[in-house]
Formats: sequence, structure tokens, C-alpha cells
Amino acid sequence: MTIARVEFSSEQLAEVRRLQGLYPDTRGALLPVLHMAQDTFGYVSLEVEAYVAGLFGLSPAHVHEVVTFYTLYFQQPKGRHVVAVCHNLSCHLAGAQDILRHLEARLGVQRGETTEDGRVTLQAVECLCACEAAPMMQVDDRYEMNLTPDKCDRILRDLR
Amino acid sequence: MMAELVLMRNFDRSNSHTISSYRSAGGYAAWEKAKTLEPAAITDEVKKSNLRGLGGAGFPTGMKWSFIPKTHTGPVYLVVNADEGEPGTFKDRYLLERDPHALIEGMLITARAIRSALGFVYIRGEYVEPWRRFSAAVKEAYEARLLGDGFDVVVHRGAGAYICGEETGLLSSLEGKKGWPKIKPPFPAIKGAFGQPTIVNNVETLCCVPPIIERGAAWFAGLGTKTQGGTRMYSVSGRVKKPGVYETSVSITLRQLIELAGGVSGTGRLKAVVPGGGSAAILTADEIDVTMDVDGCKNAGTMIGSAGVIVMDESVSIPEALLVLARFYAHESCGQCTPCRESTGWIEKMVHRIVDGHGRKDDLDTILDVAKRGGGTTICAFYDGAIGPYISYVEKFRGEFEALCRP
Amino acid sequence: MPRLTIDGKEIEVEAGTNLIEAARRLGIEVPHYCYHPGLSIAGQCRLCMVDIEKTPRPSIACNTPAADGMVVHTQTERVKDMRRSMMEFHLINHPLDCPVCDQAGECWLQIYYMQHGLYDPRMLDEKVHKPKAVPLGPHVMLDAERCILCSRCVRFCDEITGTGELGIFGRGDHSEIGLFPGQDLENNYSGNVVDICPVGALTDRDFRFRVRVWYLDTTKSICPGCARGCNVEVHVNRKRPHHAEGRRVARLKPRFNDAVNAWWICDVGRYGFDAVDDPSRIRFARRGDAEVELDEALNALLDALRRHTPAEIAILASPDLANEDLFALRRLTETLGIRQVAFGVPPAAPTPAADDFLLRADRHPNTRGAETILPAGDAAAILAAARAGRVKVLWVFQHDLLAAGWSAAETRQALERVDTLVFSGTNDNATSALATLVLPLAAWVERDGTFTNFLGRVQRFRAAVEPLGEALAAWDLLGRLLGPLGVPPAGARAELWFRELATTVSAFAGLTYQSIGDGGAMLAGAPPTTAPEPPGRRAPAPA
Repeated sequence: MTIARVEFSSEQLAEVRRLQGLYPDTRGALLPVLHMAQDTFGYVSLEVEAYVAGLFGLSPAHVHEVVTFYTLYFQQPKGRHVVAVCHNLSCHLAGAQDILRHLEARLGVQRGETTEDGRVTLQAVECLCACEAAPMMQVDDRYEMNLTPDKCDRILRDLR
Repeated sequence: MMAELVLMRNFDRSNSHTISSYRSAGGYAAWEKAKTLEPAAITDEVKKSNLRGLGGAGFPTGMKWSFIPKTHTGPVYLVVNADEGEPGTFKDRYLLERDPHALIEGMLITARAIRSALGFVYIRGEYVEPWRRFSAAVKEAYEARLLGDGFDVVVHRGAGAYICGEETGLLSSLEGKKGWPKIKPPFPAIKGAFGQPTIVNNVETLCCVPPIIERGAAWFAGLGTKTQGGTRMYSVSGRVKKPGVYETSVSITLRQLIELAGGVSGTGRLKAVVPGGGSAAILTADEIDVTMDVDGCKNAGTMIGSAGVIVMDESVSIPEALLVLARFYAHESCGQCTPCRESTGWIEKMVHRIVDGHGRKDDLDTILDVAKRGGGTTICAFYDGAIGPYISYVEKFRGEFEALCRP
Repeated sequence: MPRLTIDGKEIEVEAGTNLIEAARRLGIEVPHYCYHPGLSIAGQCRLCMVDIEKTPRPSIACNTPAADGMVVHTQTERVKDMRRSMMEFHLINHPLDCPVCDQAGECWLQIYYMQHGLYDPRMLDEKVHKPKAVPLGPHVMLDAERCILCSRCVRFCDEITGTGELGIFGRGDHSEIGLFPGQDLENNYSGNVVDICPVGALTDRDFRFRVRVWYLDTTKSICPGCARGCNVEVHVNRKRPHHAEGRRVARLKPRFNDAVNAWWICDVGRYGFDAVDDPSRIRFARRGDAEVELDEALNALLDALRRHTPAEIAILASPDLANEDLFALRRLTETLGIRQVAFGVPPAAPTPAADDFLLRADRHPNTRGAETILPAGDAAAILAAARAGRVKVLWVFQHDLLAAGWSAAETRQALERVDTLVFSGTNDNATSALATLVLPLAAWVERDGTFTNFLGRVQRFRAAVEPLGEALAAWDLLGRLLGPLGVPPAGARAELWFRELATTVSAFAGLTYQSIGDGGAMLAGAPPTTAPEPPGRRAPAPA
């Protein structure tokens, strides 16, 4: 999942400048640009942090602070798909732990780990605010709701 | 008890998220009207409507707007808090996906009231679909020249941190920093985003603004209680038969709301209810005749917060439920100030030990004492939210905890 | 100017003064960790709570500006109770291993626990573990478990140096301070983060585990590292020299002076005192290679000075000498009619550069003093005269002329050409090795005196340790020559020489040791100074 050269294309650099221009201080665009960097380079490595720091004229330590603060930035390579199961209160009441255990068994990994083939990273996450459809999980960009073990199996089957 | 729909009025229309659907339902008429009003007149109308912030704190919205210094000549920012994250709450997700133009119209009117030329909508990073929907609506609004003509909107994605739902944590994050809440004073209305006066309002709060302008403050105030106008969207989840979002008057009682959601599921016998999101003190089955407005909940020793109602039937283990929340607070504490940073982790460890059968009865007193000592001492309200469950779960269900402890 | 009452005492303070500073002026200490007067307000530690009348809950004093009519109480029961709570929170995850912690004795967790804590520990669970003994660059060691996350060091690097190397990573109780992986903390002010760290998280790699701090004695002094003259404390280890292999000066610490260096000193100065306890120190006088009694050496020097005409004698003084020394030297040259006197020697390449804050390119503490006290001279001309055989006695103070910015070969020719090469200095060098007569000088920590900084601020330094061997302050050495030459020396104390200097040299008129005090005083006509604006405040902060 890593790209050898950590460098945005000229179109992407134009997008960085556009984003920076949206905020009264260019630093406002740091989170969006880090999202962009993660989409481009697969995860936010230290090299990516240093590169992004350069784009903002920030010290790399301050970018590292930001990356380590937020849960959606991956500091290690992640799977091609991220399966994030909510285990907060409403999902807990609806059996989130059973769903997590089921997924761990199916994928052969513990929560927080990535399958050996790099297909799926499994996470337990805090409230995703879809409690009306508990238990639920986020699979990449999608919310998958009202989960049952069978439904989880069907979802996993479709992840390449 | 199902009142007239104000916020969810458009939800069942086909393509309700599009500008054409919104317009055909009378959308943007309030904005046309607001354009004929002086900014102060808009603020006055909102004040009279008794609209109170629906994100959690319940602060009177019109009063908040009036804190922008009258003499300030530089930029003023309007920031929308769409960082929905309070456990048990999901209403803003519905609004962003199903009626994004209501929010844009609310922002236009509010921006006029506070003389802002630039607004930011901070959407939690996990809300990818709501972000896409809302961004598309913003694009439509630009094409219709509603935006870009004196007021611009930047849609900003968060990156996964509950604390960014706290208004100054959100501002730090918007500035490209860790979501550390800002020390107050100064308050955001004086020195907020990027050092300028800033108003931060929740999505649902701003969606109330167009109906208030269109139909008048008196009408809106009349929908609610003496101290809080309007309806609001209650997120109901947990052990109920029909979980979902319910819009109703803020004068409804918790008992009525549970009935509206189909009644208790599981064993069918109610044990406890969280009335206002994870950070609200828990209520026992005997305490559910409370009215679900800001003051009603406050008087009952809890809070309406974000109106996330989580229902627990008799089969639910309260210590396990507390462990879920204690883990949540330990995970989400930003780490900035000492009492919260240090004791959220400690309390999680104690609750964990109790649930695992290694607790001592002393631990319960320690949890209560630590929670109470830290309360009210921190920069932001996160820890005060955390102690809501710490204290109420242990005090109201002490026997259940003691049963797990070693003698 | 708001007037307020704190613990029953009234005080008027400047608008904008916070309650910690207002209380401090009344001698009331409000305990705190994250607040530092030189840094922005963070409000993180929550320890500085005070009660303010008409305010429902205690407020943090650091973020509360004094207001007119405010009535503040720092010792109410609930404030004391709250402090106890805050101490407990700070110590939940802090290792309780003071006996093996180098901060012991100057740790604000220990101090405040004894003053405000004294609760029974209740934390029975496993503490959070973090990295320990992590070097953060050449001077600083981090123990992340001991860190209370007050963020002072982070703010220092953002707001003072503007270098932004440090950050707080992660969140919750797993937050930890650190550097961007692979980067070092090696800005020229890194040692200051050790000073401002209130606990044992950041310690000084040069100082740690050498000596327990309670064995140290403290003396007010001036850093001799450059022409700025930063105010420092010299910490010396007189009681347990065997703990540090005979090293007497344990460390330098900055001493607050708003007119010079504020709270800070640079690493060049902080770690620049090695020469004081170096084996190269000159302890006794020498003639040729033989150590001799000081009196014998002085007599030999006196003899050489008397045997030659003033035109045959040249003196290269040093901008490292104190004002008192330079004045005694002026007396000597006037008495003997010596005209060939200079003090400035160009540094060798690469020539030292100034940094962007305190450090000056001129690495001598008293160039301004020498300029003011001695007549203008030309060191290169003196060397040229020596090379031409016109100088019979050349007296060099402190300099290593062979390591100066001149051709070493030509300098060597000059030094070898003179009949009597006299060297007086603190440490041996290539020049002293060629000298026929060597006289030991006391180092700056071994004597009293004053330096005049580049802006004309005259500042006192004081003896912290005894001189080694028979070393003397230069004024003392010169005084012992002046007596036999018929000039009564000003006295046996530096202060008496300064008194005479002040009555003789108009720029020093009116100054006394008393008026100079701990903070220094300006030369006549020199405008008052303030510490320079830190680079982190000049540029947009990286935070």
C-alpha cells in the first residue's frame, strides 16, 4: 500500500493550494490535506507527515501531534478495507461484542489488526451515531446497519 | 403526542436533499424574508422564540449571537457543529442527509444576524455520506447564487475525535490543530476561530432558524415549554421496539417518548434510561416522568444534552454499561488538563476490575470521590459529562456493582 | 491600575497582571505547574485554583487578570481541598521512585505534595507506561513517565526559539511529549526546557546523576560566554567533590533579568564552563618549565618591566578580564608609560556567529569594558613590532595568539623573537607553552568582579569557589606589581578597585557595587536595555 515517492502531483498541489486558500490561515487546511495524503499514499507515514509539514511551513512535530490525535489517520499501512465496528453503548446493548468476536473469528485477526493478505483492517470504534440501527459498523465509506453474523459474512464476502 | 413536524417536515419528500425539492416545499422563503430584516431584528426574533442550543449545552441561541462585540469591524465567522458524536445521538446525520438546504438556509439567516461573511461546517470525519450530500447541496446553493453573494461556506471534514464536538475543541481542529479545547475566557464570540469573533451552533439549532423567521417567534415558542421553544429531534435507541429519530415538542415526557418508540423491548421491563446522550446522568425506571426540555432534565438531576435516549431493560448489566462509557471517556479525553486526562483512565481501570470480578467495595467510593473532585475543574465540559454516568450509575445501581465486588 | 485584595492584603498592580503574579508580589505563592511568566497561558494543570468572592467556583489564577475591587482568597478550605485533588491527579500515573530520580530535591511534585498533598494514595491499578531515559538531542534526557504534560517545554520551543521541535502526541492518559521521530532537540536554547520542567521528565545530560541538588551552593553570576552577559546562577559542589570526580562547577542556571536575558540562557553559555575544572588550568606560576613561588615570578616580571624602556614593552590585554582588572592594568601602563597596549584579537575561522536571540558573535564578556577603560590599541601592530624585534617584553593575558585569526607561523615568529614572553591566564594554551614566565589567573567563578556588556550594562559576578593553587584575580596580580612601583594599590577587594575606576573613568561615574546590585546598571549615557524579543514571538508561531 505504500507509494515509493511521497509527492503530490501538480494537480494535487493545486488542490492543496485551493484548500489552503479557503481558510483565513492556511493551517486550517491541514486536516483535509492529511485526508488527501492518506488517500494518495495509503497511510500517513512519518515521511508523509514531514512532506505535509513542508507544504504548510509547519514543524513536523506539530503535524505528528495532529496525526496521532485523530483516529482516522493511519500511521501504519492499513488493509484495503477498513471494517470499524461500533462498540459504544447502544451497539453494546445490541450485541456489538458478539459481532466483533464473529468478525475476529472469520478474519482470523484481533480488533486493531490487519489480515495477513492485507484485505481487511478490523477495528472496534466509538459511537458512529447510527444507534437506531445497532449493531452497526462502518466499512470504508459506508455504514452497514442492523448487523447479524450472517449479514457480516455477506459484507465480508464482497470485500476484495 | 406526535407534534407538527418542523425539522423533519421534508424528510419524506422524494429527493428531499435537492434544492428543487427544498424550493418546491417553500424552502428559502425565510431567507427572502430575512433579507428584508435588520440583523438585530433577526437576533431579536430568535431570542423571543426561546430557541436553545440543541447540540448539548442548551444555551439560548439568540443570546449567544448577541455576544458578538458590536464594535468589531473585522471578520466574524459562523461555524456549524456537525461533529455529531455523543453516544446515542444521530439526528444531525438525518438533517445533513435529508434536508441539507434547511441548514444552508439557517446559516444564511444566521450569518446576516451576526454579520458573518464566512461560514464553516465541521462534519465528523466518519460521516462520509452526509458530507457528500451536504457538499452537493452547497454546490447547488452556489449555483443558485444563494451562496457566494456575501456569504461563503466551507465544508470541513474532521478526522475522528469526540472532543471536537466541544465548541472550542472544534475550533482548534478547524484551525488545523489537535482538538484541544481553548481556555476561556476569551469566549468564541470574542475570540474564536482564527482569532476572530465566532458563533458556533449545532446543525439542528440552525435548522430551526428558517421556520422561526418564516412563521414567527411566538409560534415557535408556543410549541415548547415556558423556557424552551420549539420541537426537537430525539434519537431513541437501545432496548426499544422502534428505535429511530422522533421529532416532538420539548414538553414531552420521557415516558411518552419511550411509548412513541414502541415501548421497552428485551424483557419489556424498564430498568434505566439515559435521557440525553452518553454524558447524561442515568434515570431509573421511576424517574421517567421528567419533561424532555433543558430545564426539565436539569431539575431531575440529569441533562437533555443532545437528546440521545438510550433505553435499558432489566436484563442490562449497569456495571457493563458503565464500563463501555468509561472506556469511551478514557479513549476520547484529549489529554489537555490533568484531572480529566488522569482520572478517566483510572476510573476505567477501576470499573474494568469490578466487572472482571476483582473489585473491592472501596473502589466504588473511590470512583465517586474521584469523579466529584474532578467535576467543574477542567477547561471544557467533557469531564463534567463523563462524571454524569460515573456518579449516577454507581449511586443509583450500587447494589449491582457491589454484587460484583469481593467482600 | 486595578487594586485588589488577596488574603486580606491590598495591592495595586498593572492592568493585565494575573492573580499568580499579583499574589507573588504580596509574598503569597499560588502553586502551579503549567504557568510560566515567560510563556503563554495554558491553563492545563488546574493547580492554581483560588477563590474569588462573588464567583461560584474556584478559578485558575493564571488565566484571571487582576480586576479592581476583586477579593481573592488563596487558602480557603475548598481551595486547599482542590489542590489536594489536583496533586492526586498529577501523581496517579507518576512513578513513585523519588530515591532514584535525579530531580529529587528540586521537584515541584515533591514540594507541592508536602505543602498541599499529604493524602493517602488510592491508586492500586497499573500505571500507564511510557518511554524512559530517551535522549532528546545532545543536552536533554526525557523520562515520559515522569512528565505531567504541563506543556511548558512545548510552548518554549514554539514561543521562544520558534523551532517547534517538541509536541504532545496521542491523547488522554497516553499523551506524551516528544520529538518528531528522527529529529533532535538541538537548538541553542535546549537546556532551558530542563530549567522550566517542573518535574523529573526533562533532565540535563551533563548534570544528571553527578550530584544531589541539596549538596549544591548557589552564587549569582554573569555568563562569560559572550558579550550579552546573561545573568546566571553558578551551582557548585563544594560539599561532595568526590561525587563528581573533582568537578566543582556542577551547572549554570539562568537568573531572571528582564533587561538582559529574561529567563533564558543559550547552550553555548550554559555548557561553556568546562575550562574552570579542566586539567589545563594553570595553578602555579612558572619560569620556563619550572613551577616557582608566585613572588619569585612577580619579581622576575617586575625586573623585566624595570629593565626595559616603555617602548620595548607591549601588553595584550583580554576582553575576558573584568573591569577591575582592566583598570588595574591601566594604572600599570600609565605608571610605566607603556603605550603599546591592545586587547582585541581576531578570532580564527570559522569565526563565531551570533544566533537569532541572545548569543553574540563576540564571545568575550567584557569587550565594551575594555573599550571603555583602555586606550584604543592595535594588537596586529604589536605583533608586527614584535616580529620586527622592537618588542622585548610581551605580556599576553588569556589569549592563545596561535589560535587567533592570524597566520600562526608569523605569530610564532613574533612570540619567539621577544626576550620575555609573559603569559597570565586561567588555562594553558599554545601561547603559554612558549612563555618564559607564566602567572596563574583565577577563573571568573573564583573571584568577584564586573563585566560591561555590549550595550553598556555593568554587571557583577561573584566568587563561587576558591581559586586553584596560587591563582589570583588579575587586579590582585597587578596590584602586587604596582606597590613596588610606588603606586598604592586600590585595595584588597575587587569592590575597592571598582570604586577607584568609577572615580577615574567618567563612563563609570556614580556606579558602585551597591547600585549595580543583582541586576546591573548602565554606563553613563547608555540607554536602558530590555531582553530581546524571542524569535518565536517575532515570526508567526509554528503552533
